[in-house]
Amino acid sequence: MRGGGLAKGLAITLRTMTRRAHTAQYPDVRPDLPPRSRGVIALFEENCTVCMLCARECPDWCIYIDSHKETVPAREEGARARQRNVLDRFAIDFALCMYCGICIEVCPFDALFWTPEFEYAEYDVRELTHEKGRLREWMWTVPPPPPLDANAEPSKEAAAARKALEIEA
Amino acid sequence: MGRIVIELLLRVAGALVAFLTLPLLVGQLEHKAMAHMQGRLGPMYAGGFHGWAQLVADGVKFVQKEEIVPAAADKTVFRLAPAAGLLPYLLVFLLLPLGPGLVGQALDMGLFVVLAIVGVGVVGMLMASWSSANKYSLLGGLRGAAQLLGYELPFVLSAASVAMAAGTLSLPGIVEAWRPWWLLWQAPAAVVFFVSGLAEIRRPPFDMPIADSELVFGYLTEYTGLRFALFLLAEYAGIVVVSALTTVLFLGGWKGPFADHQLGWLWTLVKVFAVSFVVIWVRVAYPRLREDQLQRVCWLVLVPVALAQLVLTAVVKVVL
Amino acid sequence: MTVTDVLICALGALALGSALLVVSTRHVVRAGLWLVVTLGALAGCYLVLTAELVAWVQMLIYVGAVVVLLLFAVMLTRAPIGASDGLDRSRWPAVLVGGGSAVALGALLVEAFRWSSIRPPAPGTAERIGAAVFRDWVLPFEVLSVLLLAALVGAIVLSAPRRS
Ligand code: SF4
Ligand code: SF4
Repeated sequence: MRGGGLAKGLAITLRTMTRRAHTAQYPDVRPDLPPRSRGVIALFEENCTVCMLCARECPDWCIYIDSHKETVPAREEGARARQRNVLDRFAIDFALCMYCGICIEVCPFDALFWTPEFEYAEYDVRELTHEKGRLREWMWTVPPPPPLDANAEPSKEAAAARKALEIEA
Repeated sequence: MGRIVIELLLRVAGALVAFLTLPLLVGQLEHKAMAHMQGRLGPMYAGGFHGWAQLVADGVKFVQKEEIVPAAADKTVFRLAPAAGLLPYLLVFLLLPLGPGLVGQALDMGLFVVLAIVGVGVVGMLMASWSSANKYSLLGGLRGAAQLLGYELPFVLSAASVAMAAGTLSLPGIVEAWRPWWLLWQAPAAVVFFVSGLAEIRRPPFDMPIADSELVFGYLTEYTGLRFALFLLAEYAGIVVVSALTTVLFLGGWKGPFADHQLGWLWTLVKVFAVSFVVIWVRVAYPRLREDQLQRVCWLVLVPVALAQLVLTAVVKVVL
Repeated sequence: MTVTDVLICALGALALGSALLVVSTRHVVRAGLWLVVTLGALAGCYLVLTAELVAWVQMLIYVGAVVVLLLFAVMLTRAPIGASDGLDRSRWPAVLVGGGSAVALGALLVEAFRWSSIRPPAPGTAERIGAAVFRDWVLPFEVLSVLLLAALVGAIVLSAPRRS
């Protein structure tokens, strides 16, 4: 019918008015962001081996890593003293970072994680380079990954472990 | 003599208070209703409880802002324009009856006066648009003038229909004469009056003169600070005026389900706010009319309907 | 002097002054705006003389429609902000015609009424005017409306797209 659209428009707006608003009242009510939200990148420092893969793959070259080698004295008689990398500086310049996530994908040691934390604005662009202390702190805000779907394949790690167990048995 | 003067002053003061509060209430209603219709919350902070003081805060902000008058503008006209746009509505407030005997100034031909005064409001807009020395302003003003000249006709014609039905031009007289079945009899006129009233006050979907997506802000483009706030106030006062006129002419003014004499003012206010709500609702629901559609609606829909309503009114009036 | 006298004198002076500004200002649009003031003051005069309907018709038709149309047309064509120099106003003929007709009309009024005082008629309410128009003057009124109708039809015919 002609003009039906006019009534429909009114009806839709009125119905929306009676429903709850979608507004998130952000500073009062914290948003509930899903895991892996691209808020900021956290560094699990203990896992990092200073392999430099992330810094190299970063398209923006905005990851800064300094390290030195340390000699770990031999633990038992006759063994060789080993060398190991010690991380001195790990910083990400979030003014340059474009949140592509390549560094996280590429890290072979699960040292980088997405966290939904997003309140790290600064008044000066130079202060957006965050050092490893801050990056490590953010690790506490990384939410646990969501559980797998009911009939999903088990994760690769779990599958490998199960296989190893089966072979042993 | 003294008593008359005091009473007159009281009435004028009452109208002034209404003029300063009702538009703000409608503005707040617009903020909130529009927000919820769009799934938002609207202002929430000013004043603490659901942002009730938002418009007061806006007013304070506007007062603090710098008054900028463009260098190329016709400065006197530019400065006077907001007053010229606001004053007519202020005068109309004096004439609108709130309840039985509750009116700023009951005039024998109140309806006619109100229509004349509302028609003058366009001069303020023309002044603003021309004196801004801005092509968008000028375009907005020209659109506005064309729109107002066109919509004045159905506006007056549909009001004439009620005046004919009531046999009087006095606004309280029309309310006195009003009967509930007029809702049906005068329904086309009511719709025409409401729609052309929307166009008169340049509310969406008839906001072609402002059209912020193509004309920046039409004739308001160059205005800042207090003068801009005055124009905004004029817009909300316009909503109240059009709603109140619709109420008085077509919805029976102070006539309610009971206690007309004690609670008349309440019925009037309830109806005025209900109609204002529809004004806001229409703004949210419909997109802006294009210039040609705007003129088409006026000349091909509203004017014929208003004329047909006049004939209908005359026929019923003669038969009864 | 009563309040009425003062009011009508003030409004008359306002009307006259703004009318002079209409013809003397060199700002085209401002002339139109002064015209609004003139017509408004004139409406005020009518009001003081209790000719309410005429006053408000003056507002509705002249200020609300005619002047707006005029301003609209001026803005649409050329309306520079500030004074325009090239206005070709033929001063002397205008003074002659305007002043002459003013003097003639004034003389006519003075001649007709001298110092006799006239009692003002009853207020020009809608009812009285309606009665006058539709009882005493119905024939001229209808003739006028036919004239207006003819003009309207003429306008439509003239502006209608021509079929070839
Ligand atoms: S998210 Fe992308 S841009 Fe940002 S640090 Fe990692 S690799 Fe570089
Ligand atoms: S890729 Fe991972 S382990 Fe390697 S340096 Fe980067 S964060 Fe450390």
